[in-house]
Amino acid sequence: MSRVAINGAAVCFSLSLALTPSQAQDARQIVEQAQKRTQTRSQRYQGTLQVMQRSGKTSEKRWRYERIGSHGNSKAVLRFTAPAEVKGVALLVVNHPDRASDQWMWAPAINRERRIALQDRATRFFGTDFSFEDLEERDVDQFDYRLLGDEIVEGAACWRLESRPKQSKTSQYSRSVVWVRKDDYAFARIESYVQEQMVRRLDYTQIENIQGVPTARVMGMHDLRRQSRTVLKLEKLEYNVALPDEAFTLQAMRRE
Amino acid sequence: MILLRLISWQYARRHVLRTALTVAGIALGVAVLVGMHTANQSVLHAFHQTVDRIAGRTQLQVWSGDSGFEEAVLERVQSLPEVRVAAPVIEAVLSTGRTGQGSLLILGVDMTGDQGLREYEFENGEQEVVDDPLVFLAQPDSLIVTREFAERNGLGIQSRLPLETAEGVKQFVVRGIMRSGGLTSAYGGNLAVMDVYAAQKVFGRGRHFDRIDVAVRDGVAIEQCQAALEKALGPGFQVKPPAGRAAQFDSVLRVYTMTLNLSSVFALFIGMFIIYNAFAIAVTERRTEIGILRALGATQGQVRALFVGESVAAGLAGAGLGLGFGILLARSAVGYMGSLLHGAYGVTQRAQEISADPALLLGAMGIGVATSVIAAWIPARNAARVDPVKALQKGKYQVLSAGENRARRRVAAALAAISIGCLLMGGDSSVALYTGYLLSVAAALLLTPTLAVWLARALRPALRWIRPVEGALAADSLLQSPRRTSATVAALMLSVAMVIGMGGVARTSYRPIVDWMDAALNPDLFITGTETLADRTFRFPSSMTRDLEQAPGIEMVQSVRTARVIFRQTPILVVAVEVARVARKVKARVIAGDRDRMYRLAAEGKAVIISENLAELQRLSLGDTLELATPGGVLRLPIEGITRDFSDQQGSVLMDKAVFERWWSDDTVNVFRVYLEPGADAQDAKRQILEKFGAERRLFVLSNQEVRGYILRVVDQWFGITYVQVAVAVLVAVLGIVNTLTVSITDRRREIGVLRAVGGLRRQIRYTVWIEAVSIGCIGVALGLALGAVNLYYTLEMTRRDFSGMRFDYEFPGAIALALGPVILAAALFSALWPAEAAVRGSLVEALEYE
Repeated sequence: MSRVAINGAAVCFSLSLALTPSQAQDARQIVEQAQKRTQTRSQRYQGTLQVMQRSGKTSEKRWRYERIGSHGNSKAVLRFTAPAEVKGVALLVVNHPDRASDQWMWAPAINRERRIALQDRATRFFGTDFSFEDLEERDVDQFDYRLLGDEIVEGAACWRLESRPKQSKTSQYSRSVVWVRKDDYAFARIESYVQEQMVRRLDYTQIENIQGVPTARVMGMHDLRRQSRTVLKLEKLEYNVALPDEAFTLQAMRRE
Repeated sequence: MILLRLISWQYARRHVLRTALTVAGIALGVAVLVGMHTANQSVLHAFHQTVDRIAGRTQLQVWSGDSGFEEAVLERVQSLPEVRVAAPVIEAVLSTGRTGQGSLLILGVDMTGDQGLREYEFENGEQEVVDDPLVFLAQPDSLIVTREFAERNGLGIQSRLPLETAEGVKQFVVRGIMRSGGLTSAYGGNLAVMDVYAAQKVFGRGRHFDRIDVAVRDGVAIEQCQAALEKALGPGFQVKPPAGRAAQFDSVLRVYTMTLNLSSVFALFIGMFIIYNAFAIAVTERRTEIGILRALGATQGQVRALFVGESVAAGLAGAGLGLGFGILLARSAVGYMGSLLHGAYGVTQRAQEISADPALLLGAMGIGVATSVIAAWIPARNAARVDPVKALQKGKYQVLSAGENRARRRVAAALAAISIGCLLMGGDSSVALYTGYLLSVAAALLLTPTLAVWLARALRPALRWIRPVEGALAADSLLQSPRRTSATVAALMLSVAMVIGMGGVARTSYRPIVDWMDAALNPDLFITGTETLADRTFRFPSSMTRDLEQAPGIEMVQSVRTARVIFRQTPILVVAVEVARVARKVKARVIAGDRDRMYRLAAEGKAVIISENLAELQRLSLGDTLELATPGGVLRLPIEGITRDFSDQQGSVLMDKAVFERWWSDDTVNVFRVYLEPGADAQDAKRQILEKFGAERRLFVLSNQEVRGYILRVVDQWFGITYVQVAVAVLVAVLGIVNTLTVSITDRRREIGVLRAVGGLRRQIRYTVWIEAVSIGCIGVALGLALGAVNLYYTLEMTRRDFSGMRFDYEFPGAIALALGPVILAAALFSALWPAEAAVRGSLVEALEYE
């Protein structure tokens, strides 16, 4: 099961139907199909991130996101563009199909990068309600799935699945419950659990078809322990744009 | 209990002053012990507490002396399956520059992972500890401060706080405020957190961390994780629970603590003689009372128990008072000790509160009571042996005394002979050294009564010459009652011997230290990142060496990197320099090895040169291979030279800087030694250096004189703590004189009454008492100087063998001895003022009542 918060690709399920929604499927096939339909060579968008704390305090940041590759075999650079204090701060994520991603942060004011250790992936992504792990893109093979039933989410009929990380997989979550829309295989909601406590809920809204990929324009992550919420809006989203491979390296991150 | 209430209590009430003096003798000894140790413990406790509170959920800490290590080590630690969280840390202390706020402990951490180890957030989770975590990480001027510090300084979010950095004073922005709790109470609340990578820049640490804090994976034993880390990292790293790191600090202070212990024991020992004196006098005075008790059927055991009971009561009262005074003393001494530790070891601690260890207080109470009981034991035994019939027979007592004196002299002679034997045949054996020392002191103590009589006899003609009547009376008083004065003389002797021993070490160490400074610390200017040479908080980049050399008037710049590393479980100092350059300018005293060869091989990175004290303490010799565990593995180099070097009390190793850079992967610099061209003005050069570098870098340019002054100040501070104890010891001895004279006057009330009745003037009686006091002082000083000469020898030997390994030539401190004589005599005279007035103002009728 993909952690799909920042990477819009994972929510972009193709409508080229290999299977019809009416066909009975098992849980793994559903996720495989979802992954297949969102396969793209690259992606670019500008994101706006709003963090709303329980106290009512709100902060906003903007970034530019670029990715090449897809689903567990990809590289992505996320670079903040506003506000001024964080402009230029970048995050390089290199996803691997068989293990956890490598992540580095670049801070221009200190003029150096730092590695985000695997142990730190459970921590919050720079004060948002996403964790670093939520930025990773994982392959379908890293999880076990189980179909729990059907349910309506935001007016759309969905399959309700449970995904559990395989033993070899390192994750802060013990399991997740995922709602996949039957009509376009787009993710509608993910609830993540630590032990038996639900800790995060991710809602996908304003799902549009962009270049044939169903894409949620707005994602809302709710941290249930902190009672805070982060909303990510995707703008100027493009798929399959020409992006050079060398733009996804530490050297390139330092250069910009 | 009945006897105590009916007899002892009544006696104490009749002799309030003497009882008070006895109690004061114990109180002072205990106060010194408790005060000095509590102050010491408070500083140590503050360090332990800081380590503990900062540690949070940290179970193990990885460090490599105080040298730090490369960032790559972090990934090696994080990759171990036994490790749940591993977070890098840089720790440093900065001056806040705010009046009354002292220093600020800066904790550089990686906030992305560190929250797995330390609790930074508000408990209710409503608010963020950091206003914006991304801004905090993105901006190197970000700081999180404690609520206490913020309130004390009127700081809020976005407030600016100027702090010294490696690049000069920079404005920092408060981007977070921590709620009060465990972590925030570390270092008295003067704690600030910054990003570890920003801290590297701020403190000029390059790409190094000071340590890594580790939390163990669930289900893995701490010992298992520790073993895995030690195996993965090699011997150059220490892997220990946080308490283990704090214990390292204790180890650094070993010499200091040992000195403190020695002085405290000495002070108590002196107090013991005051108590012995008081009880011996009491037994003499109460012989009739004891005789009556025995005649009424009291057993020997009951009489002994009565006096032992009195000593327990006096011990409890004295020790109780001593505890109170000790805590008061600790309060005033703790700041001094903190400053001393900072100067000598570069360790800054903020001991805000006195940490009185219950075990120490209980121990001191026990020692106070035990001292009292031990001191009173012989008088109590003598009291028990009093024959009820003979108790009233005048003259019998003196016969017994004479017999005791002969036996004492024989034992003293035997002990002195064994002591000399230990000295001559003991070699380097510590057992022989300490046995010889103890026996020499014991022999001196046993001989004190005899020597006191001899000296009093010798003094008699001189006293008669000064004042024919009063002098003769005073001398006779001393000669007739040697028991009354011998314990006081012994206490004085010990005090003087202690001053000579401690002061002598201080004096004899001065010249070698000055010689060493002349030979080794001969640059015109020193450039450091901190006010003290021992503090390694700020470092310079190595590139600055060449920049400095281009400054006008500079002939040569030597870059120095010092680091404390662990060698055989002991923290020693590595001094990394460009040996070839140093050899051209420094003419250190070579103890072993060929000067040219040792410098040549060390410059080529093929050998090391060690200090004389390291060789002494670790039993190292020329040609031995020194094995140092470094972050890069075990460094093995032969010892090609042993020189006199007082850089560190635990010893130092001089190696070429290239070797250090290779094995520690660290090319930073602590100190630049700058030699000026002939004729260049040091002040001009200093100004130019400050103008050129001062704006972009935090630096202190110290002249040669300033550095020498600083070192001598540290030496003075070091011995200052013992001087305090010496002063207290002298005070204890003065109390003894007052006690002795008070008894002397009571004893001679009738004699004084007769004198006055036959026309003796009050002035003459006053003079008699004064002369007696000064005579006791003279005898005490004379014996003390003699014992002090022996004590100094042993103190120097102990310093060399067990304390710091430093070898100082024996030199009797004549100046101290000369100064000490008048001080003790003046103190003796001062202590006689009140007893003399008491003698003069006593009722003539009462004095002659018996007649």
